[in-house]
Amino acid sequence: MSESGSRNTRRRPDRAALGIAAALAAVAIVIAWSTSQAGGVAGYSPVGPKTFPYIIAGGLFILSILTAIEAMRGHFPEREAQDFPPMLWVLGGLVAQMLTMKTIGFSLSTGLLFAATARAFGKGALWKTFPAGVVFALLVWLMFAKGLQLTLPAGPLERLF
Amino acid sequence: MDTFSLLAQGLLVAMEPSNLLYALIGVTLGTAVGVLPGIGPALTVALLLPVTYKLDPAGSLIMFAGIYYGGMYGGSTTSILLNTPGESASIVTALEGNKMAKSGRAGPALATAAIGSFVAGLIATLGLAFVAPSVVKFALSFGPSEYFALMLLAFMTVSAAFGESTLRGITSLFIGLALGLIGIDQLTGQARLTFGMPNLFDGISVTTLAVALFAIGETFTVVAQRATGEDKVETVRGSVWMSREDWRRSWVPWLRGTAIGFPIGAMPAGGADVSSFLSYSAEKNFSKHPEEFGTGAIEGVAGPEAANNASAAGTLVPLLTLGLPTTATAAIMLAGFQQFGLQPGPLLFATNAPLVWGLIASLLVANFILLVLNLPLIGLWVKLLSIPKPWLYAGILVFATLGTIGADGSTFFLGPVPVSFGLLLLMLFGVLGYGLRRFGYPIAPVVVGLILGPMAEKSLRQALQISQGDPMALFHSWIAILLWVLALLAVVLPLYLRARGKGRMLAQFATDED
Amino acid sequence: MKQFVWASIIAGAMALPAMAEDYKIMAPAAPGGGWDQTARSMQTALQDEKISNSVQVLNVPGAGGTIGHAQFVNQSSGDPSQLIVGGYVMVGAILTNNSPVTLDQVTPIARLTGEYEVIVVPAASDIKDMSGLVEKLKADPGSVSWAGGSAGGTDHITAGLIAKAAGVDPTKVNYIAFSGGGEALAAILGNQVTVGISGYGEFAAQIEAGTLRIIGISSDERVEGIDAPTFKEGGVDVSIQNWRMVAAAPGITDEQKAAILADIEKMAKSESWQKILTEKGWADTYLAGDAFAEQLKADTEATTAILKEIGLVK
Repeated sequence: MSESGSRNTRRRPDRAALGIAAALAAVAIVIAWSTSQAGGVAGYSPVGPKTFPYIIAGGLFILSILTAIEAMRGHFPEREAQDFPPMLWVLGGLVAQMLTMKTIGFSLSTGLLFAATARAFGKGALWKTFPAGVVFALLVWLMFAKGLQLTLPAGPLERLF
Repeated sequence: MDTFSLLAQGLLVAMEPSNLLYALIGVTLGTAVGVLPGIGPALTVALLLPVTYKLDPAGSLIMFAGIYYGGMYGGSTTSILLNTPGESASIVTALEGNKMAKSGRAGPALATAAIGSFVAGLIATLGLAFVAPSVVKFALSFGPSEYFALMLLAFMTVSAAFGESTLRGITSLFIGLALGLIGIDQLTGQARLTFGMPNLFDGISVTTLAVALFAIGETFTVVAQRATGEDKVETVRGSVWMSREDWRRSWVPWLRGTAIGFPIGAMPAGGADVSSFLSYSAEKNFSKHPEEFGTGAIEGVAGPEAANNASAAGTLVPLLTLGLPTTATAAIMLAGFQQFGLQPGPLLFATNAPLVWGLIASLLVANFILLVLNLPLIGLWVKLLSIPKPWLYAGILVFATLGTIGADGSTFFLGPVPVSFGLLLLMLFGVLGYGLRRFGYPIAPVVVGLILGPMAEKSLRQALQISQGDPMALFHSWIAILLWVLALLAVVLPLYLRARGKGRMLAQFATDED
Repeated sequence: MKQFVWASIIAGAMALPAMAEDYKIMAPAAPGGGWDQTARSMQTALQDEKISNSVQVLNVPGAGGTIGHAQFVNQSSGDPSQLIVGGYVMVGAILTNNSPVTLDQVTPIARLTGEYEVIVVPAASDIKDMSGLVEKLKADPGSVSWAGGSAGGTDHITAGLIAKAAGVDPTKVNYIAFSGGGEALAAILGNQVTVGISGYGEFAAQIEAGTLRIIGISSDERVEGIDAPTFKEGGVDVSIQNWRMVAAAPGITDEQKAAILADIEKMAKSESWQKILTEKGWADTYLAGDAFAEQLKADTEATTAILKEIGLVK
């Protein structure tokens, strides 16, 4: 989204903010386009299923222009430097959990997320945090799936119980 | 068989030692599950309801009441401490509450939330007992036209009350409105912005969005500051208890929140979220310290928390008198009532009097036990903040994802890989939440847009359809006209005040500079 | 620790085939809804009656059940331990949502319960009976506003069928969709709309209290305990039942199907199930095997026709 760590208070134009303006415009266009593709159903109300989408698309478009103007003037608030590698660990953990949840079950998959998050916050040793996470997730699974009948994906580990 | 003796009788039953024990267990369970980040009251009640099946009717009823109030209350704790609301109604609590916690005032924030919830629960439960029939009459006079005017008022007051930049606040709101379009249009059955994906047909779940933007977005933000920001540990400064000043500033918001929350909770299309939004903007407007809003104003916790709980009791008004479940939690409770042989409806108070009064008495007792249990626990909850961050945030993510998977077991194929669709959305919105924070966009208006947008659209179109296209139908009752006038005032008044040079807080909205 | 995990995985994988005699029921709805309650009641009855050792319920909500249904068809093929709960609403939802997976692709087992649609008016309304409603509808269809559940749902379909039977253009029906029966009920009680249409259960308490008047019910014959003429008696030839069913996976053998049918039959006749039906106020409209399959086919045809006429299905 933006280059990491640059303190760009006075930099004009603010390129990241221009990116936001472009994204808003893109969303507006997608909404308008998708709405124009839908078939209409006649009803008694003059305000149909397409009215609000068009209004919102129009609003987003105007906001995109205003955002672009602010960006050109460099009016966005100052941003703190960011530390991206830890963020990627958390994101990676979420992706790993999402991809594996249905296959290997709640505990193992959530263990991955747990370990990745702990790693992001500076607890390094994955070989320690992963098993810890699996045990924690398994306890949570037992409590909710067995104790409270909440259906959570079961994998090889959960089937033992 | 007058009201008082029935209530007294109910209270006597509820105060039996074994029943008190059940109430305690119910409150503890409700709070314990409700407090988990990402697990809201609806899921809490749904999960814990079966626990009550095994008891005798009186015990089961009272435990159930405890679970309900415990679950409603539990969410505010993690909202305040960890900025991770489990559902839409505690988002507002997180706004000011978490700011208070970050400046070391977690104790007073939790206390005002707990006492506010108690006061609101007490008044609203008594309201349920004594004025339910007239409240329900008022609520029924709200048709689509009135709802549209109410939504308009909510938009006008709420959008002015968030954030420091008007442009970014409105942009956030529009992002929420755009998300609200996704799904099948209820009035015509047409799919909008679903791009042919059946998983999007029911729209974006408010809970998923709220949990993602707050809990996941917050985790990203905190972890990204690890290297630069020195660890901003929220140490507890001063007393964990409320000061005299805190009391003085809290009691009016409690009452005001109750007054807003109870009637709106009683409306068929109201709900706890709308009333907490309205209460927040009311407090901001009436406060003597408007400059503190956004940095941790205690009124901003006291009011919305009271409103939230009062509307929880308000929800019971249409549920008991009409058999109308107006929220997801209420729908689950309706199923719960059936096991007690309680058939909600207009005849309930006549045919089932002892049971109804038993329930109301149970709610009063549960409310009291909630306070007794939670005030001493505040010190313990605050200790949550001293859990080392790696474990704290890993735990938050575990529960946030658990709540999502548990409520939605659908599978979506990403190529050959089966993935959970809920988790996919959770991750995408989490990244969005981080992006918004990074560029100074407020988070709450996104959720507000997602909740209010579809409601406003639906009621406008229903009103126009009933009138066969006549726009004058929007002003057909004095309630509608009054709401329109208030909405207009909400726009005009700040302009007028600013023209007279009053209110630094208001001036702040006008300028784009920070 | 790692070794322990691997050992567990292997052990778990080996334990897998041992669970074949249990059932896994999918409720294609959120916890608390009608299909979820049906699935969980089945769970209770099957376990209490010792028909099955362990029954699990999986919630896959969304799009009128079509998401859960599609997932069921794709993932359970040939697995006799998997069941799905569904209902008439799914017939319409599959059509309006253009779902690629149809009800033909599961193995229907039995219809379990059902509810009839009723039309109500506020007690003070000048509409007294079905002929009064038809008269108004013929004079000016737009002036009769109908409050019911979501567009394309059972309530909407019934309204369309009634208009059609009365000789009124179904596209002219001024149907106002509310979320769930609750909001619709509030609109009727608040005199916002002309008539309300929904399942009997939504209005039962109000009808008993006399705040709403029932002018017709969608059954073939009068229903015991409900003091209302049928639509047919009122001169409108429409009958419809909002049923709930249980179906099995596609691609199972005839023996497997027979075994499931026997289990469900046993459950439906059991004391536990009958007790649940009374408690929940569900009508026992049990219909199994081929008779049900035929009924399903007829319902699908009629629904497709009316949804096309209303304009919801192209």
